[in-house]
Amino acid sequence: MESNAGATETRSNVTVSDGGEVAAFESLQFTDEIHRLISAPATDNASSFTALLELPATQVVELLHSPESVKLIVASAPNVEDFKGSFHFPSNTGLIQKDARFSVFSGEGNNKNDKSNSPEMTSKNSSANLEKAVKSEPAETASSLPLVSDPTVENRNIKRKDREKKVKGSTKKSKPATNESLEDAEKLPYVHVRARRGQATDSHSLAERARREKINARMKLLQELVPGCNKISGTALVLDEIINHVQSLQRQVEFLSMSLAAVNPRIDFNLDSSFTSESGSTMDGGNFPSLVTPLMWPDVQVNGYRQQFQHQWHFDTLKQPIWGREEVCNNYVTPENSLLSYDSSANSATLHANQLKMEL
Amino acid sequence: MMNTPQQVKNPSSSLKSRFITRFLGALTKITAEDPISSSSPTRIFQRYRRIKVASNKSMAYSVRSRRIWSRAMLSRFRSRRSAFSGRRSSVKTTNCTTSPPPALIKVTINEKKTAKGGLDMQTDELRELVPGGEAMDVCNLLDETAHYIKCLTTQVQVMRKIVDFYHLSK
Repeated sequence: MESNAGATETRSNVTVSDGGEVAAFESLQFTDEIHRLISAPATDNASSFTALLELPATQVVELLHSPESVKLIVASAPNVEDFKGSFHFPSNTGLIQKDARFSVFSGEGNNKNDKSNSPEMTSKNSSANLEKAVKSEPAETASSLPLVSDPTVENRNIKRKDREKKVKGSTKKSKPATNESLEDAEKLPYVHVRARRGQATDSHSLAERARREKINARMKLLQELVPGCNKISGTALVLDEIINHVQSLQRQVEFLSMSLAAVNPRIDFNLDSSFTSESGSTMDGGNFPSLVTPLMWPDVQVNGYRQQFQHQWHFDTLKQPIWGREEVCNNYVTPENSLLSYDSSANSATLHANQLKMEL
Repeated sequence: MMNTPQQVKNPSSSLKSRFITRFLGALTKITAEDPISSSSPTRIFQRYRRIKVASNKSMAYSVRSRRIWSRAMLSRFRSRRSAFSGRRSSVKTTNCTTSPPPALIKVTINEKKTAKGGLDMQTDELRELVPGGEAMDVCNLLDETAHYIKCLTTQVQVMRKIVDFYHLSK
């Protein structure tokens, strides 16, 4: 793997340099591979870019270690034809074009390597460096094929996520594939991670990066769930918002159960049978008026639901100590007692039950 | 009710409908147990607690064991019930969804925000809020929080409708 990395280092350096014959030649090599990769979907039914990438194992390793060259090449893919035409080595281009045609027809990566090696080996214009680079490539691929399989397996064992994102030059058609493969990646027992340029590639940092990406994805989901969280940036503040929201929801549940306890008539909620309602309101407006002015109680009910409940919890917490005391506030005959009294007609009860069924 | 594309549920067996049936059943039981005489504040308070427990229980039962938080909640209910029946004490085992007074929480947040591992404090907070959160790693915790929020909003929605129904049926 180190030798591979070393070779790709030189290759990538060579690719970055401008105006060199070697650079152009090297870029064409990758171009052929990219061409083959891009033309592959015409032949198979792979719906995702990952299947596309899975086929040639050796190319995966190469691509893995030279993502920047991939970006360069793929970005300039449409210009390859022009690029080839402006070459000063016609024999080279002829060979490369023949090679490209071979590559399109051949489906196997191994066969491709052999075929590409022969024209490369017989090119007359290769400089010493080029020969070395070319020779090292087949040597690597040939001798290290058994080794190559191990790194790929190892790479697959390392956590992977969003493989397509790293190949930034890929066309838009990989975008829908991205979503699919993202979901597939979630379901795979092994999650694969592609190392980006400039990032450490040891398994620990890869695993950590995958973990962090998972957490960020879930944070985004939570941000969508919690209203008003989209504008906030920074995980700490978003988490605060989420915590506030959960607390407010729990308090709302408490508040509503309190009001249900107070408002509770004797209407039987057996949805199947008819209702029997008993007369009289059981609630003794109780201590609510002591906290809320009597006429405001219905307003609190109506307004509070429309607004945020963040300020309503005051009533809730203030009620609790009062409930603790044994005071009976029976003298609070408040208007809402009359408001909350019920007709005790079974017909209306059933009608209301149906209404409730509809609403719920 | 938010139906994510991953949870394509039959509308008749959705979480909301399951919760509604269970909760209304519990409500009828609670109201049936109460005496017809005018209820004192203590009665109302007891009923309030029972309704709250019923609401959380119905939601937990509607979710079954599919979620860590619901499993933790259910085990809590069962242990509390066994303890309650064993001891026969009227001292309430605190309903674990009640949060401590918010004033305290705010203070702790402000104090600890300056700490270096700032996110750890928030995740601890979240662990306290979400039932069963102590034994979860951050990734699962966020997952459970999302589902918990969804279920809480359903709960609130349904209860609100019931209360509104009461008020409208004057």
